[in-house]
Amino acid sequence: MKKRALSVLLAGVMAFSLAACGGGDEKGGGAAGGDENTLTVFAWDPAFNIPALEAAAADYKENVNEDFELEILEQAASADVETAVTTAASAGDFSNLPDLVLFQDHYIQRYVADYPDAWTPLGDIDINWDDFAAEKLDYSTIDGEHYGVPVDNGTVVCAYRTDLLAEAGYTIDDLTGCTWDKFMEIGKAVYDKTGKALLCMNSDGNDLPYMMMQAEGVSQFKDGKPYITENETLVTIVEMLVQMAKDGTLLMPNSWSDYTDKAIQGDQVAGVMNGNWILPTIEKVEANSGKWEITSMPTLEGGEGYASNGGSSLYITSNCHNVDLAKDFLAYTFGSSTTTYDNALKDGGVISTYTPAGETEVYNEGVEYFNGQPIYADIVEMGANVQIVEQSDYHYSARNYVGTAIVNIINGADTMDALQEAEDQLNFEMGNN
Amino acid sequence: MKQKKKMTLLGKQSAAGWVFLTPASILIAIMAFWPMIQAFIMSLQTGSSANMHWNDPIFNNYTRMFSDKVFLTSVGNTFLYLIIQVPIMLILAILLAQLLNNQHLRFKGFFRTCVFLPCATALVSYSLIFKSLFATDGLVNAILVNLGILEKNYNFLGNSTSAKIIIIIALIWRWTGYNMVFYLAGLQNIEYSVYEAAKIDGANGWNTFWKITVPLLRPTIIMTFIMSINGTLQLFDESVNLTNGGPANSTITMSHYIFNNSFGQGAVSNFGYATAMCFFVFIIVAILAFINLKVGDTRD
Repeated sequence: MKKRALSVLLAGVMAFSLAACGGGDEKGGGAAGGDENTLTVFAWDPAFNIPALEAAAADYKENVNEDFELEILEQAASADVETAVTTAASAGDFSNLPDLVLFQDHYIQRYVADYPDAWTPLGDIDINWDDFAAEKLDYSTIDGEHYGVPVDNGTVVCAYRTDLLAEAGYTIDDLTGCTWDKFMEIGKAVYDKTGKALLCMNSDGNDLPYMMMQAEGVSQFKDGKPYITENETLVTIVEMLVQMAKDGTLLMPNSWSDYTDKAIQGDQVAGVMNGNWILPTIEKVEANSGKWEITSMPTLEGGEGYASNGGSSLYITSNCHNVDLAKDFLAYTFGSSTTTYDNALKDGGVISTYTPAGETEVYNEGVEYFNGQPIYADIVEMGANVQIVEQSDYHYSARNYVGTAIVNIINGADTMDALQEAEDQLNFEMGNN
Repeated sequence: MKQKKKMTLLGKQSAAGWVFLTPASILIAIMAFWPMIQAFIMSLQTGSSANMHWNDPIFNNYTRMFSDKVFLTSVGNTFLYLIIQVPIMLILAILLAQLLNNQHLRFKGFFRTCVFLPCATALVSYSLIFKSLFATDGLVNAILVNLGILEKNYNFLGNSTSAKIIIIIALIWRWTGYNMVFYLAGLQNIEYSVYEAAKIDGANGWNTFWKITVPLLRPTIIMTFIMSINGTLQLFDESVNLTNGGPANSTITMSHYIFNNSFGQGAVSNFGYATAMCFFVFIIVAILAFINLKVGDTRD
């Protein structure tokens, strides 16, 4: 009898605690806020874009509307935001979406094409678009209509360890505006002297070929079709990456987490080339403070290269209950307030593509970790030089197939065969045959 | 009215039976069969999930998968895991069950718990543990290098052959104990007197195992076979968490590829194509289960 009472009790406790788990985030449903002065928003990174949104909310509250509240519905990862949008749109029920969503730039083109009913175009919003980097706006502008307000900046930086370069007898100036051949030469010297790779990318989804091509002004797509085997620039770049991987100049960890945690933070690299959002990862290794500096990308023919990778914007959903407030909020904060951007930079390390922001004091301060270089102003300046290349809904697929081809070539496949396969696979996915 | 009153006892019973059956039948029809029909309709469609339209030709999704190299790789991988892993695992499980069924064994409960414990770990967590064990700077590499077996750290998960082997090892570790429990239960239903009789007749351990244990365990063996085949064909967590299908999609499984087509790989989702592949898996599972049942059926 005692046993039975005990088991009933235990089962009861368990059921109760499970129910409590379930009930805990009832508010997380994400429906648009009902209050006149409240906006809800999806964001995902508590160390990066959430502080930026908080900075914007504080700015707006202090200077415009003191009753304003921004309710940030934190998601675990950027993929969760995308899944939420996809599932809501698939069901045709947008009521679970918040007023605003933040997501990565590459998605919006496809989202607008696939789910036009999910978005509210910005129309006559009070923003001077000329103040933003043209390349950034190119993503969120569809048929001349603006859909998103840029938040962070994806400008590619090349960060190098100056101490390791010096050991091999080079300086960062040798790498600024150099050719890729020169880069390979320096990479070999650095590898021989220090055993560290000058370049690094994760083998399961790599950004590197895309960035290198953008620096040349070339895309993986041409007139909406895959542009791979006939794309000489791409073929050259792929061959070069394969060669560097064989030389030990290019380190290829298995996954993204290996890339950030083991390669970069595990101090296995002498250089990192990625969107500037990678900088906080580099800065986590405190022992290397003062040894890093940043510059632009190498190019095939020489000269400084600029590219952009990643970065996100804020979009208004069709479920937004107060479009005027949302537009006013976006226009005042991310659309024109250097205060917002200064605080976003201080609290979350978010760098903008808003050119006037690059002129403020906060942006022009030297950063100790990067040997006193005013990297933020430098990045905003670099961002203005990024060339526009053809974008596609199938950006990530193209990137994955090219990445797969590179791994196969390193493992012995023929270059053109592997690239042909990537092109076939991509055409196949796009329904081109 | 009159007719109702005349209902026979048998009729009443049958009516009562229907009344009891109806709620469950309606529920299963709405919750299971209707989605299946909808899924089949969806597998004939294409386009983004908000704007699905009929395929032209109608079975395009089905013909398409046979020229999709990644899908064919995933089918090959899944069958490789199936053919190598399931027999090893089931043989190990039956041997362990036999060992632990020994009446004179001490600490039986402890050993049984040890073997069963892996099944209590979540799929994702054990995959991540294996991932870190076999990482380039992981424990296994450290041991092998220190013992002098390897010269320098080897990237186990970065090579397609070794990555596949690791997935198989992980699967065996995770699922052997689970199957062992079924065998143990089956063994407990075999009267000990049968073994005693065999012993008196002079049968050795080998003979007893093959002539008594295996035939009497037959129903259990068939059940574990079907469950393992079914489970392996739907393999997902290990592929996603251990290798993420890599390197270069060489370890991807069918379910993982289906997932990639619905939610993964950026924003390109093609639910129609993914559903068509699900039906392919469904048909394979059905065929294999059917063969298994036929082979295992001893009734004539």
